[in-house]
Amino acid sequence: MTLLEVKNLKKVYTSRFGGTKVQALANVSFSVEEGEYVAIMGESGSGKTTLLNIIASLDRPTSGEVLLRGKSILGIKESELAEFRRDNLGFVFQDFNLLDTFSVRDNIFLPLVLAGRPYREMEERLKPLAEKLEISDILNKFPYEISGGQKQRTAVARALITKPQIVLADEPTGALDSKATDQLLRIFSEINREGQTILMVTHSLKAASHAGRVLFIKDGEVYHQIYRGAMTNEAMYQKISDTLTVLTTGGCQA
Amino acid sequence: MRRSFFPQLALRNLRKNSRVYLPYILASIGTIMMFYILCSMAFNDGLGSMYGGGQMTIILRLGIIVVGLFAVIFLLYTNSFLIKRRKKEIGLYNILGLGKRHLGKMMFFETLYVALFSIVIGLFLGMLLSKLMLALLLKMVSFPVPLGFSVSLNGILLTSILFGAIYLLALISNLVQVGRAKPVELMSGSQYGEREPKTKWLLALIGVFTLGGGYYIAQTVEALVKVIGMFFVAAILVIIGTYCLFTAGSIAVLKVMKKSKSFYYRTKNFTSVSGMLYRMKKNAVGLANICILSTMVLVMISSTVSLYIGIDDTLETVHPREVMAIRYGENSSDIEGMNRAMDTALSRAGVEERGRLSYRYFDLILTDEGVKDQRYYQAEKYYVYYFLPLSDFNVLEGESLSLREGEVIVCGGGYGAGDTFEIPDIGFSAKVRDARPSFSLHHREDDLADMSLHIVVSDFEKAFADIQAASSTLGSKPYISSIVGADIGRDKETEQLVAYELRAALDEIGLSANITLRSSERFEFVTLYGGLLFLGIFLGTLFSMATAMIIYYKQVSEGFEDKERFTIMQKVGMGLGEVKETIRRQILIVFFLPLAASVVHIAFAFKMITRMLSVMLISNMRLFALCTGATILGFALIYTVVFALTARSYYKIVKA
Repeated sequence: MTLLEVKNLKKVYTSRFGGTKVQALANVSFSVEEGEYVAIMGESGSGKTTLLNIIASLDRPTSGEVLLRGKSILGIKESELAEFRRDNLGFVFQDFNLLDTFSVRDNIFLPLVLAGRPYREMEERLKPLAEKLEISDILNKFPYEISGGQKQRTAVARALITKPQIVLADEPTGALDSKATDQLLRIFSEINREGQTILMVTHSLKAASHAGRVLFIKDGEVYHQIYRGAMTNEAMYQKISDTLTVLTTGGCQA
Repeated sequence: MRRSFFPQLALRNLRKNSRVYLPYILASIGTIMMFYILCSMAFNDGLGSMYGGGQMTIILRLGIIVVGLFAVIFLLYTNSFLIKRRKKEIGLYNILGLGKRHLGKMMFFETLYVALFSIVIGLFLGMLLSKLMLALLLKMVSFPVPLGFSVSLNGILLTSILFGAIYLLALISNLVQVGRAKPVELMSGSQYGEREPKTKWLLALIGVFTLGGGYYIAQTVEALVKVIGMFFVAAILVIIGTYCLFTAGSIAVLKVMKKSKSFYYRTKNFTSVSGMLYRMKKNAVGLANICILSTMVLVMISSTVSLYIGIDDTLETVHPREVMAIRYGENSSDIEGMNRAMDTALSRAGVEERGRLSYRYFDLILTDEGVKDQRYYQAEKYYVYYFLPLSDFNVLEGESLSLREGEVIVCGGGYGAGDTFEIPDIGFSAKVRDARPSFSLHHREDDLADMSLHIVVSDFEKAFADIQAASSTLGSKPYISSIVGADIGRDKETEQLVAYELRAALDEIGLSANITLRSSERFEFVTLYGGLLFLGIFLGTLFSMATAMIIYYKQVSEGFEDKERFTIMQKVGMGLGEVKETIRRQILIVFFLPLAASVVHIAFAFKMITRMLSVMLISNMRLFALCTGATILGFALIYTVVFALTARSYYKIVKA
């Protein structure tokens, strides 16, 4: 079943005085099935983050449509957007975006508190999640007391605790060392196996090679896509690498 | 490097950081201006040599010390805000290749520009305004306003030296801070260590006890001499308590809130409690400063205003007629002679009389602890008894009562109802014919005494002889006072003429008396209270300005820090409306907590202040309550305007 559908998305940024116009997205269309693990790749400035922001309802497209379970998210009123994001989307960011003034536990609880859930339910949801993400023993610490990998796993827990329809990840491994990256990607694969839909924007080959499908964006359009099929991570890595080579060198000649 | 490099760089930096420098410079100019104005008035020879001007000059010099101290603290405090904001920028210069010595040069020029600009403009505005202020002051104390414009060289010198020294001190403290730090530390300067504050229970307890102690003293001290001394003790205790409770107490309360899971994990409380926890950690001292400053403003303005407004009321009671002759400390009275002398004086001056006051009394003051000499006012409690003859009472009250032997009329409350009136210390006892709760006569001691009664007796001479004999062992011997006064409703010159004729008429019959005029009494009051009012308003304005500045800097620097937090919360699913609500709640608490605390302080101080004011002759508690209420209202209004303005610029920063 199709969970997310993106149709003919276009985004043009206009500078403040209307002088120059920059086209970030030209015409992007794709769809994500329920339970899929999709990575979107592309170079800096290719429009990846703009795309993710529009899907996350943090930004509005110039034209086009975004459907979640067949319903348009662009029609949601400004006042209801926050609630929509809270209930349906989970976010993981490159720079973690944890609040320094909250303990790890409270950071994870934040979306549930905003949704007005009772405390007992929060604890019940947190326990299995914290064990799976191996953060049970740092729940009472503060963000400045823990490592980058622990911070990102905290952010993942915060994204998952609302049981979102889809997890949106923006360069989740960007600020992590290789060991923490491996651990995070393993966790992503694991939660995907359990049925969680994940949409990840990255330019890390390694991160993309864990995904079930990789979309390549160039100059604001979907240029190519690869399905994993029965490939191993290593084979997938090789395939992505080859595609990128074609994309950059071949793209120049074309 | 070119010689002009650092001066130019300094100038550019100031322009670039105008958002934080402009308020600082404005505050500096304001403070310098106020200081110069005060100096120019205090060193004004014309004012000093005027009749009654000496008193004014002393009050103004006191003001100079207060404003000077204030300027040092206030400008150094705002300077510390500035340097905190700029640490990152200075760190960047350091990394880009400016050595510590170069940074020092740059900062020297920055300070030099700010200092020169502020002092020159401040002095200039001060000179312009000093004439206006002097006119205002003279108007308040009803002195004639001299023409002409003068510049006080002493004032310029003193102002330049003081503020030059303050800027030098600020520069030194900035240099030391930058000199000690490593560039990396400077770069991360403003966002250092966000550790959750610990609860300091001991400090919180000290706060509770000192504040409670201060409040207790304010409610219980009765004896007048102690009130003045204890007011300062109570004030210091309350100040300590305020600092402790704002710093430790607030955090303790928030921590307790956080412990309660069902309370803490609610949408409304979650972000507010945790946000406040950090905010209080950083701002508690600033908020306590604001609280104390606003308490001072409120007390100062309300008490000086009520003293000034109450002058005429006060005069009516202490000086009931325009021209008065008083004889104290006699063993017998010749009130008829005094009345005749007054008649003679009035007819010789050719003035028509509008109302006469004439009575005799002798007073007896007793204390509760056996000290019965002149130092009665040091005792915890004391009681005043005025004895007056029935004939004078009948004239005063326009009645024609008669009393039998051993009967009295008791005026005034608080002695306990009953058929018999007794003063056990002197063995006085009489039957109460009539008891009246109030009486038209009022004496200076009445406001301070724990009980003051007027006892009307039929045989005045006999009562005097009896009580003088009975009290001879007590050390507090009563004497007779005779008072004659007349209203004439004419100008000052005529009053003086009457006074002159009265003195002559009294001399003719061999009586000596104190002759006083209400107009000259009034003059004394007006110079003293007018001066105090001027200073009260002057300092009140200055402190209000400081309060507004501190709040502005707080909000701006917090806006920069909070911006990131609110962006994250929005991404995680907090609506814009909720963000606004959270911001509003936090700012509201931060803003109005100090004001609420200072109102509570004043409520507790009210009793003590009225008691102190009663020394200065104002007995009108309702007037003071009214003035206090009005001042609080006015201050709250200004405060709310500042709140609205800063909240707006705060939203702008956070939303940007």
